[in-house]
Amino acid sequence: MLAVKDLCKSYAGESALSNVSFSLNRGEVVALLGANGSGKTTTVQSICRLIEWDQGDITIDNVDTRTSSTFLKQIGAVLGGCRNTNWRLTAKQNADYFARLRGFSGTSIQQNIEQLHSALGLDEHAKKEVMKLSTGNKQKAALLSALSYSPDFVLLDEPTLGLDFNTVNDLQLIIKERAQTAEQGFLVTSHDLGFIDKICDRVVVLDHGQLLFEGSLDTLKARLFKYELNIELNQPIDVSILNDLWAGRFDLQTDQQTIKVNYESPEQSLKMLHYLHEKNIQPLLLQIESLSMEKAYQTLVQQKDSK
Amino acid sequence: MNLHLFVNEMRLQWYEMRQYWFETFSGLIFITCLFLGLFYGIKGFALEQGDGQSLDGLLFGFLLWTFASGAYGSVTKSVIEDTQKGYIEQLFLCPNGFISLMLSRSLSESFVGLVLLTAIAYVVMAITGNWLDINLAYFYGILLLSAPSLVGFGLMISGLALLFKRVETIGAFLTLGLMGLVALDGLPLNVFSFLPFVPGASLARDIVLEQSPLRLDHLMIVIANSFVYLVGGIFVFRAFEKQAKKRNLIGQY
Repeated sequence: MLAVKDLCKSYAGESALSNVSFSLNRGEVVALLGANGSGKTTTVQSICRLIEWDQGDITIDNVDTRTSSTFLKQIGAVLGGCRNTNWRLTAKQNADYFARLRGFSGTSIQQNIEQLHSALGLDEHAKKEVMKLSTGNKQKAALLSALSYSPDFVLLDEPTLGLDFNTVNDLQLIIKERAQTAEQGFLVTSHDLGFIDKICDRVVVLDHGQLLFEGSLDTLKARLFKYELNIELNQPIDVSILNDLWAGRFDLQTDQQTIKVNYESPEQSLKMLHYLHEKNIQPLLLQIESLSMEKAYQTLVQQKDSK
Repeated sequence: MNLHLFVNEMRLQWYEMRQYWFETFSGLIFITCLFLGLFYGIKGFALEQGDGQSLDGLLFGFLLWTFASGAYGSVTKSVIEDTQKGYIEQLFLCPNGFISLMLSRSLSESFVGLVLLTAIAYVVMAITGNWLDINLAYFYGILLLSAPSLVGFGLMISGLALLFKRVETIGAFLTLGLMGLVALDGLPLNVFSFLPFVPGASLARDIVLEQSPLRLDHLMIVIANSFVYLVGGIFVFRAFEKQAKKRNLIGQY
């Protein structure tokens, strides 16, 4: 198991990570979510020991990663921004080079590379150096290198960035298949919640370097609102009454002439609409939106900020 | 340094030399032409002075400078270019450590460099008809013994590159400075003996070119020079690496 315990990191006195703890088991796919600057990349780079953190521990099978660098044999990483491969080599040569760099070689590694190369759809670009590949194929080449020696834990920092729909689908299938059959654990950071929704068993949400949520995707979804009601009025109303118009779980933000409510089920809004009708209040705008997972997740962060 | 890393770096060089054969070939032609240009440029002058020794010295000095630039550049080039090309973070994920990887890369590049340099030297000698009597065993032995000083010096500059990124100007200046280093005489022990590679270049000139007998004290100076610069380079690089990791500067450019 890869465990991050009470990880703290600050830059020039400003906290980038504060007591972040979570774990990743073999065969599990965990998403690390958060807005830009929330600490996702700092966490991934700390696990790779590309960053010296201030406090806390990162262990693999209860061995502190600061005591020896041999743990790097168990780690594969696709770091952000296409910074993963030698652009002068082909995808296969890169995979071979990085597997050997970790001390892995032999027939089984070569077979694994061949199999992944095909599965990733790189066969038709076999003779092209990475610099001649499209962004999506560069990302695939990076993934091929990270998976080439079948590491126990694979860290993917924004793996879907710049990928088209088909490639994202391929990537989902490969991650799922590797987690299930090769018992590899994946830690995936992404803004693409649709992607996360399809592959992840657990979710860790960071916000401003702090752990906002850790649990199953279903539990996270249960905490997310499904609808958003926006109303703009042409006259001020008594906002003190608005809370009484809502039952169940909801989040109300209002000023004199605008009302925004996030809530869970359609019937929750009926009392509010009835009130507007009864008082003959004419809205300039009345909009009910079913929230996508991305938007719902943003409301979770906003709720935390408003508290 | 590990054997599997050394072999892996040799493979990397082979991949790159084969795939970019035109670059490899034109590079070899360029060095050969530079060699020939210098030779014929100086030849007239040296013969006028009746000084055949200076012509041999020039050829030999150029060999040393080419080798020294390669050995020094093997580390700095990796840190600077791989930061720009964007995969230095992955090199830092080497379980044997980044320094081990760089030492393996240096050794493999020095090894290939020596082989190519020898070939170029013989081509040039054949074209010019000016044959140097080179004892290759001594030549390789002394250069490989003195190369660690340059690698250590390269590690120091690479450490700076991790923190300050744009050190190409210093690098270019030092590559030219190596011309001066290979021309200085660091044997017997004098103030120049404390500069990187100077005792090694002097010993190579004494033994290989002038065919003087090998003196143990001179050899010890070369070994000490290499040891001090290599250990110093590793120490300085580690200190800069730690700072770069604290400030999250690895790979940022």
